[in-house]
Amino acid sequence: MENNQLKNQIRKLRFERGEMTQQELADKAGVTRQTIIAIEAGKYSPSLTLAFKLADALQMRIEEVFQYEDEKP
Amino acid sequence: MNRVQKIAWSIVITTLLGLALSLITFARLYPKYGGTPKTFAAFSFMGIVGLSMFSPIIFREDKGTVKFDERDKLIQRNAAWAGFAMSNLFFALACFIPFYILGANTLIRVNWLPSIYVGATLIYFITWAVAILVQYGWGDKSGE
Repeated sequence: MENNQLKNQIRKLRFERGEMTQQELADKAGVTRQTIIAIEAGKYSPSLTLAFKLADALQMRIEEVFQYEDEKP
Repeated sequence: MNRVQKIAWSIVITTLLGLALSLITFARLYPKYGGTPKTFAAFSFMGIVGLSMFSPIIFREDKGTVKFDERDKLIQRNAAWAGFAMSNLFFALACFIPFYILGANTLIRVNWLPSIYVGATLIYFITWAVAILVQYGWGDKSGE
């Protein structure tokens, strides 16, 4: 949808967890594979509920998966 | 590309095809019949868009256990609003433009009324399809 300041480590964390596929993560979090791809690419900011589900699926805390970057000087 | 993108593409393609045939036919009929209803009948080629109604049958359900999520809901809601806004704009223009061009004391043929309704419906679906493709992406990779 649009680029945003919400960065995430999903791709890196997937590979650290035995090269978990996007489809596997999508199934665990209850979303489509396209949504995982969009989140990884920074094109979609997930809802708070989905962010918690993704963190849970990756067995991490939410702040370890998502980081907000304030670009203001 | 997901199922909704394929349906949106079928609407865009049939619309472009219908529009091209309509304009070609209109250009051929205009010198012969002028601005009469016979000439405007060329736009009946827009009925080709109706073929896209079969696309939900042709395109099968997406793979994967989850077929619809919060992002799909957001995209489809935005697309529906865009379609509604554009069809409403079309309706407003179809009402006000003749009024300002022809004046308040002119009579227009009632067969314009169903044409406006059909036009607004077409505008809704075309805008919906374009909004879907803009948000998901136009192709296989951009949407993924």
